[in-house]
Amino acid sequence: MFVSDEDLMMKCRKGDIGAFELLVRRYQNPLINYIHRFIDDYHRAEDLSQETFLRVFKSASRYKPTASFKSWLYTIATNLCRNEIRNRSRRNTCFLEELVEEGEDVYYTEIMRDTRYLPDVLLEKKEQRQIIRKALAQLPDNQRVALVLVTYQDLRYEEVAEILGCSVGAVKALIHRARQKMKKLLIKAGIGE
Amino acid sequence: MKKYKRTKFPDAHNSECEIASRDELSAYIDKELPAWKRHLIRRHLKRCNVCANDIQRLQHTDNFLRHAGDVDASDGFLGSVMTRVSEVAQHQRQQESLWTRIRRVIEVSLGWMPPLSKLSGKLRYNIRTRSPVYISILTFAVFTMVGVTLYQPSDDKFGEELRELDSEKLISFEVIQQEPPKRLLTTYLQRK
Repeated sequence: MFVSDEDLMMKCRKGDIGAFELLVRRYQNPLINYIHRFIDDYHRAEDLSQETFLRVFKSASRYKPTASFKSWLYTIATNLCRNEIRNRSRRNTCFLEELVEEGEDVYYTEIMRDTRYLPDVLLEKKEQRQIIRKALAQLPDNQRVALVLVTYQDLRYEEVAEILGCSVGAVKALIHRARQKMKKLLIKAGIGE
Repeated sequence: MKKYKRTKFPDAHNSECEIASRDELSAYIDKELPAWKRHLIRRHLKRCNVCANDIQRLQHTDNFLRHAGDVDASDGFLGSVMTRVSEVAQHQRQQESLWTRIRRVIEVSLGWMPPLSKLSGKLRYNIRTRSPVYISILTFAVFTMVGVTLYQPSDDKFGEELRELDSEKLISFEVIQQEPPKRLLTTYLQRK
């Protein structure tokens, strides 16, 4: 029997940790992917996902089922990501994945071990990932959040508007601008026309 | 049928384009437009090559982005989250007051705490909104009721008097019982 996120959250509010575990299982991968695309650092993405789940658990008593759980979760994650990016710019940090790209490619070794594809196909996939990652990193924060939430997390425009705290019309504009910019960046990188 | 006047839009690629805003094209791809607008755009795309090309390019970009691939959480991720969560839960349980604990137990076991809390809220609202005279009369009445219920007189004179009276009666009764019936005795002796 499928139990909705909101029902699980209400159970968690009454102290049911099992219900919360089910929520973590449901959202761990989408959340890590979202944060990873936002901040472009896998290990830090895991830390921030953990922090997001903890914040959700701590404020479970204040949760009201009127708001969608998904939107609430992504709002918390978005705020954490924004803080992370702000802190990064202050610290001016050099990231592991940037180092990896220059030197040994540890991050992609798992993909390369995949025997379903030929090595050249895998290499192409890896290159595509890198191009997309770089292009996404060049988008302004709001455009990136809106595009990632719609394209990868399958959120509706209304939910994105709730997360970003803007109107649906503004989300439409953000998505369109982000796609236009991505199109240009991909063409520049040699993909498409 | 009513004919709508065609308007020129600042971001339209030419004056003949019916699409009010280019943002609508992305919303069209994401199926975020109402049915009537989708129908209008679909009809427009058959006529306008520029918009049709734009849509095609946007669709291509979107498809390419979707094939970027996902990363998975590491094996120990769930375990470490749940460990930290149970630590937080334990800490929260230690921190919460006795009243909160009792309230939670009642809430879970009976499920009638919300109406009770509503009632107490109503009472608090009444106290806050009524006049001071009303509050003082109410307080006096409550204290009087409590006082009457709990009052116990310390010197019980009335009770003592009653007890003395009872003992006197008892003695007199015993005296009556112990005395032989004189008249009966004399009559008996006389008969003999």
